[in-house]
Amino acid sequence: MDEVFRLEGVGFSYAGRPALKGVGFAVRQGDSLAVLGANGSGKSTLLKILDGLVFPEAGSVTFAGQPLVEAALQGAFQRSFRSRVGFVFAEPDSQLFCPTVREELSFGPLQLGMKPQDVQKRVSELLEMLGITALGDRAPYTLSGGEKKKAAIGAVLAVNPEVLLLDEPTNGLDPRTQVWLYELLEALKGAGKTIIMATHDLSLVQDLSDRAIVLGEDHSIAADRPALEALRDKDLLLRANIIHEHAHRHGDIIHRHSHGPYSIHDEHD
Amino acid sequence: MTLPDWMKGPSIEPSGACVGGRQGFVDRSLKGFASFFKKVYIAESFSAKDAFLQRLEPRASLAGFFFLILGAALSGSWVFILSLLFFTTGLSVITKVGVGPLLRRTLPAAVFTLLLAVPSAFSFVTPGAPLVELGGLTITSEGVRTAFFFVLRVSSMAALASLAALTTTHSGFFRGLGRLVPAFFVTALFFTFRYALILVKTAEEAALARKSRTICGSGVMEGQGWSASRAAFILKRSLSMADEISMAMASRGFDGHVRLNPAGSFKAFDFIWIFIASFFFFLSLGF
Repeated sequence: MDEVFRLEGVGFSYAGRPALKGVGFAVRQGDSLAVLGANGSGKSTLLKILDGLVFPEAGSVTFAGQPLVEAALQGAFQRSFRSRVGFVFAEPDSQLFCPTVREELSFGPLQLGMKPQDVQKRVSELLEMLGITALGDRAPYTLSGGEKKKAAIGAVLAVNPEVLLLDEPTNGLDPRTQVWLYELLEALKGAGKTIIMATHDLSLVQDLSDRAIVLGEDHSIAADRPALEALRDKDLLLRANIIHEHAHRHGDIIHRHSHGPYSIHDEHD
Repeated sequence: MTLPDWMKGPSIEPSGACVGGRQGFVDRSLKGFASFFKKVYIAESFSAKDAFLQRLEPRASLAGFFFLILGAALSGSWVFILSLLFFTTGLSVITKVGVGPLLRRTLPAAVFTLLLAVPSAFSFVTPGAPLVELGGLTITSEGVRTAFFFVLRVSSMAALASLAALTTTHSGFFRGLGRLVPAFFVTALFFTFRYALILVKTAEEAALARKSRTICGSGVMEGQGWSASRAAFILKRSLSMADEISMAMASRGFDGHVRLNPAGSFKAFDFIWIFIASFFFFLSLGF
């Protein structure tokens, strides 16, 4: 399979505070990659770098073999890159800026030069697929959290990108919408899309991702291995502050187990 | 985790000097402003009604209102301005908005204009035949007429603008405007509206958070200090939101040129409305 992204020695900081240090990995077409890490470990920054929204201070990033630098992101390469890579932001309010949901979904395809009648057809189909046809003429700021998330995902899917970057996709969603999102991502994965998501939701990683990159609290890569292998490595997850160990007593037995959205395993002393 | 001793006991009663959770001036003002903003700019109850103006294509509706507002700005005739005010009042009834809601939205502009127009009633701004002497200052009949006409003109323009906003959905308003003026201005206007919403929401949430932890009532000075610190926080948050939104736009292919969906086609009623409005506009040139 073709290589989509390659990062080598990537470093980034916010006003002198490091966000990423010496990050390097490659992503191939069709990969399903999870980026795990504690709050502030640099997950969101990494996704923004992959989407060409911010640019590294050190190291290099290539997309399909071409350097992903600010000067290159214009003209034909910009249009090709934006149509092939979609980014779902953690906070849907940041992503929804059009007067209606329908226009929100039309925005990307129109900017990329699709014919208006084709855009309308695509948007209607997408609204139906997402189950939000009734919300088409509503203003995004009047929607509930789950509806906003659906609209934000729809806005990105409207371009039909080959690579999907998702920042905390299940954050703030109710259980039913989480299941809906999981089914959608599974279908997209089945359709051969490359999925890169930054998340704390370890059960989503278990169900969906083939590979996991764990960012340590020092903002560098602590591990890059198959997802299930990373999830079984309790020490790694504890070190990266993704889970927390808790011990309590049941009579004479000391019961230790991890705390977090995903329980690794139990131990008894 | 070990709790400190004070946390294990019951909560203490507020001291005797405590006034109680009375709502301060700053809280009341903020609440009032948020409620006004929502009522005037967010509520879409009128634009959702099935009536004449609401059925129009947004471009036609806005073009008509543009002609009427322009007519009000250009005319120097009392008869024309008063006729326009009556026409707007009639429209508010036909469109099921009602005179009351329209008046509530127009009145602040009228009162503000009146305050601005007061000096022009005096002889040092508008010389003319003396009407009343007030502590050494003379109010002239020409001055009163000028001030009153100015207030009437601005009120009629404000009433028309309010009716346009009330009878058009937000999406229709921006879509319609996008076909009449350069897209850049519409984008800028839309973002202003969007940020204003975020600012109001953030300010309201901050006020509620403060209220939930307020046991004793706070003084005006303390309230003002808190508002100043919140203003800085809200500004910072809106700047960060602006950054995120521009990134989201770039991510979806925005390159500085907004491309919009094509507009719908005009129907007979759209042409009738534009004809009526342009008739008023041409009348204003003659008066």
